[in-house]
Parts: sequence; C-alpha cells; structure tokens
Amino acid sequence: MLMEVMKNEADRTSVASMALYSVMYPVFNQAEKENPGLTQDIVVKILEKKRLEINYNECLLRMAADDVEEFMIDRPELEFQELNERSRALKHILSTIPDDISDKVGFLQTIKDIASAIKELLDTVNTVFRKYQHQNRRALEQQKKEFVKYSKSFSDTLKTYFKDGKVINVFVSANRLTHQTNMILLAFKTVA
Amino acid sequence: MQSKKVSRRLACEEVSKIPGIVSPFKRVFLKGEKGRDKKAQEKATERRALHTFSLSQPDHRIDPDILLNDYIEKEVKYLGQLTSVPGYLNPSSRTEVLQLIDNARKSHQLAGQLTSEQDAVVSLSAYNIKLVWRDGEDIILRVPIHDIAAVSYIRDDSLHLVVLKTAQESGGSPCPSSCPDLNKSQTLSSLSESGAVLVEVCCLLVLAVDNKAAAEELCLLLSQVFQIVYTESTIDFLDRAIFDGATTPTRHLSLCSDDSASKVDVKEAFEADTSTFPFQDSMEAEGNSPPASTPTSPQTKTASEGELSTTAAELLQDYMTTLRTKLSSQEIQQFATLLREYRNGASIHEFCINLRQLYGDSRKFLLLGLRAFIPEKDSQHFENFLETIGVKDGRGIITDSFGRYRRTASSASDSTTNGNGAAGGSGDSAASDEGQEASEGDEWDRMITDISNDIEALGCSMDQEGVTP
Repeated sequence: MLMEVMKNEADRTSVASMALYSVMYPVFNQAEKENPGLTQDIVVKILEKKRLEINYNECLLRMAADDVEEFMIDRPELEFQELNERSRALKHILSTIPDDISDKVGFLQTIKDIASAIKELLDTVNTVFRKYQHQNRRALEQQKKEFVKYSKSFSDTLKTYFKDGKVINVFVSANRLTHQTNMILLAFKTVA
Repeated sequence: MQSKKVSRRLACEEVSKIPGIVSPFKRVFLKGEKGRDKKAQEKATERRALHTFSLSQPDHRIDPDILLNDYIEKEVKYLGQLTSVPGYLNPSSRTEVLQLIDNARKSHQLAGQLTSEQDAVVSLSAYNIKLVWRDGEDIILRVPIHDIAAVSYIRDDSLHLVVLKTAQESGGSPCPSSCPDLNKSQTLSSLSESGAVLVEVCCLLVLAVDNKAAAEELCLLLSQVFQIVYTESTIDFLDRAIFDGATTPTRHLSLCSDDSASKVDVKEAFEADTSTFPFQDSMEAEGNSPPASTPTSPQTKTASEGELSTTAAELLQDYMTTLRTKLSSQEIQQFATLLREYRNGASIHEFCINLRQLYGDSRKFLLLGLRAFIPEKDSQHFENFLETIGVKDGRGIITDSFGRYRRTASSASDSTTNGNGAAGGSGDSAASDEGQEASEGDEWDRMITDISNDIEALGCSMDQEGVTP
C-alpha cells in the first residue's frame, strides 16, 4: 500500500523528479565510484530522518528486476544474449520474494524457480566459457566462483529462515545474490 | 448372528421383568457379556501408553524436531487398504471416495462394522507413516512420506474417516482396465485398439478415528510433516541446482588445439569448505607437476595441464565435500569400491545401478556430481540413466513450475578419460598429437585413482573418528 502511494506521488511529481534525477545522477554515480556504499548510506539516513517505515532491503530487492543498462552485455552472439536473459530471469524471480515469502506453499515454489534460474544461468556461463576464448579467463572463473558462493549462502539463509522466521536475512541474502548476478554480467561485459 | 443375539437378549429381559425370576438365559448371557466387557477393559488397561506429545492449539502445531528425530503416535481404527485404485481419483471429492469405500465394504475388502479388532496405532514421523495393530504391535504397513499424495477427512454420519491416497507399491503401476472401478468410468471411445487402457493406479489407506477433533489433528500433523519434508526437499533441490551448475566442466578436459597459450597460475588456491581432506594436497601437487613426457611447448603444456588440474580438482573437491556431508563412512568406502570396479572394467550400467542402490531415493541427486568421473563413451548411457530415475529432469518429488532443470545433450558431452586410457573428446577438434592425449589421459587417470584411494581413506578416517572418544 505504501509503495502504491509512493508510486502515485512519484508520478505526480515526475517532471520535477526527472529534472532532479538528470542533475543528481551523474553526481551520485561519480561519488559512488569513488566511495562505494555512499549512496546507500545517504538513502538510509534520509529514510531515518523522515521516519519513513520502509524496509530498505525489501525495496532494494523489489527493484532488482529492473534492467540496469550498465550491466547489460551488448554483444550480439546468442550465448551472450542468453546470459543477459537468464540473469534478468533470476533477478526477476528474486524480486518476487517479498510478495511470496508469507505464503509457505507458494514460497517453496518460488525457491524451486530460483533454483532452476540459478542452474540455467550457470549453464549459460559454462557454455560461454566453452565456446569463447577469453584473455582474462581467470577473472571470469573467479566471478563464477563468487556467484556460486553467494548462491550457497542464499541456500543456507533459507534453511535458517525456515527455523527462525526472520525474513530480513532472506532479503539481504537475495540482494547479495542479485549483486553477484550483476557482477557476472559486468565481468563478461568488460573482459569478453 | 448379531440379530439372534439381540432376540435372545430381548427375550431374557422380558422374562426378567417378572419379579423374583432371573432368566437362566439372561444369567448366562449377561455373564458372558460381562466377561467380554471385563476382558475388553483388561485389554485396554494392558495396552501400552502411546508415544504422544501435547500439541499447541488451535492448529495442533508440533515441534518439527519431534517429527524429524522422534515420532508421535495416535490411535485409529484400520479399515483396510484398497489397491489398484485409478490414480485420477479426486481425493477432495466426498462422493468419489465414499463410493469406492462403500463398494469395498460391500465386497468385504474393507471392514464393515467397527470393533476393537480394527484398533491400530499410527506412528508418524518425517520419514514415514507406520501402522501397527494395537494389540500385539504387529506391523500392518509402512508408507514413506513421499508416497503419500493426499490426505482426506470424510465424515459419514457417525464415522470419521481419514483416507490417505498413496502410491501403489512397485509392480502395480499402470494397470490395464481390468480394475472394476475403471470399467465403470471408462467409455468405449477411450478404449485403445487392444481393448485396454493403461492408467496410473494408487492405493487408498482407510482409517477411522473417534471424532472430528481427532481427524483434524491427524490431518494437521500430516500437513506439518509435508511442510517439513517438502521444505527440506526444496532446499535440496536448490543445493542440487547450484552444485550441478558449479561442477559442470567449463571446458573439454581433453586438450583442444585452439586453446589459448596464455599462462595459468597453476598454484591457484582452492576454495575449500574444509581443509581436512587428505587428498587436497595430493591434488595440488598433481596440478603443479608437469608430466614426464610431453612433446608440446612448455607454455601450452603448463596452461592446459594447469587448467585441467584446476578444473578437475575443483570438481572433485566439490564432490568430495558433498559426499562427506551426505554419506556415512561405510557408504563412502562402498562408493570407492564401486568406482574402482567401474574403472577396472565393470559396465556403466552396473555402476549406475549399484550407485543408485547405495544413494537411495533421498540422495540420488548425488549422481549428478559424477559426470566428471564418466568417460565420453559412457556419458550417453549415464545421462539416460539420470533421466530414468528422475534426476536429470528434476522429477521425483518436485520439479520447478516450468518443468525446467534439463541438461542439454551438448553440455553432457564433456570428455573425461577412464581407467582403460581411452581419451575423450566431443565434436570439437581433438588434439592432433597422440602423445599429448595420452599424457593428459594418464594425468586424469592418476588423479581419479588417487581420488578413489583417498575416498576410501576418508571412509576409514571417519570410522576412526567415530570410535575415538
């Protein structure tokens, strides 16, 4: 409900927002590159100041499905396009966690879908490795390892969640996994 | 029989209304009745107490640990089990289920009158439902949880029935339309040319409980069991997917002629979950030492062997980690034995069957990680085997909502070498230098042999850990 209200509010002020966005985005982008985590700190402080009861991790996760151009691989080959597509699919499913987690049966189905999406993404990564030669293959393999590590961490978090019921940890872990998904895309984009 | 008893009783009661006269029949009859009542009471007091726990209301929640590490018992009446029931039976349809039960009771497949003879105990855990007779504790049947398709509660006047739809035991799946119930429901147009229609069949386990509360309690307990089991299965499915994607080789393990000649750091550190594996050091040593005779340029040789060792070592490292968490020490030793037998010439078919038996249903996903051990010539059989046991396509208990989780044929064609020294290779160009292939194959061979030995050693070391206080 709160999200709906905020969306409506944003739509009404969209013109002003767009102008502000155009000005501030490059500033934040540059600042973030030099001080990673700065943007998050600012946003969290603003939320605290305004005493807005918004779960930051939940919001971040819901936005995970949005396409981010800087992470999209622009190579035309089928395998790279598949990499884009499967990354998008995984992030989309992860973004539905906040809606599905309260429904026990439905959430199990979501987990199964996440499992399939992870598998498909890794399959595509493996296919790209096999088919294409990369100069900095080591960096790509390292990125794949990181992704696997965070996937395993996500699985462990789920096991803990089913015991203690703390959804926030699931959101945090899912956000980390979406970040790793983006890092895989970035790695293939810059190295390939 | 029962109506005669009633007539005699009534007759006795009539006579006994005359003051001062006690009917001899009544005396004998009532004495018999009292005796039977007394015996029933004695039996009830002789019966052991049930292994039960208090459940939180109103949803009868139980601590999951009890279902996982213990069990809970409830008293029921066992009416019987119907077999070869059409699988399309809707367990939510009161009419359908009662029709089957009524027919079964008429044909004496199920108990008609409920007496103490049907008294039974249902023992429930996260693994199975076990049914035993209340007196004597003889086992009636045992149903694994994953064989239960549905649980229904039907109230039929004073009867409170709990009906479990379960899988038919092996040997009873798709049956021809000789099933009487099937004949009633099938039309002529649905008959095949042979005159028979093959349908999936199931069983109905019919229980009765004392009242609605007891029925709801049993249903809710089963619901909690399903939740535990299917949550665990779902997480296992996730782990399998990650494991499979992570351990799929990213290159063909035979030397490819178009491989880059760039150097690879052969001393790459592993990301190991545990550092206690005895073989890890031997794996790193293998990866670092170049083979004795390799005619290719040192740079290419170092790159390819380093990459082979790194990739293969990672695959095997991951697999060992998983084995250690999923198998007992004895099972690890058995696995090592089977692997050695396969490498010494046993058929792939035998290897697969024996492994399937070793892992069982709950751990059959471990077969996925064996891809690295399977040479090219056997990979197709192996992939087909995975499909038949429902691992490859994610069948078994669960699949995802899109029926995904399939391996493509191309991704299964990664090559390995086996103990016979046959070099693997897919459609991609194979190395033209046989010496390179042989040394690569020998390298792989040696690693697999080392792994087999280390797996056995791991099993022995786990035994010792168990014994040492």
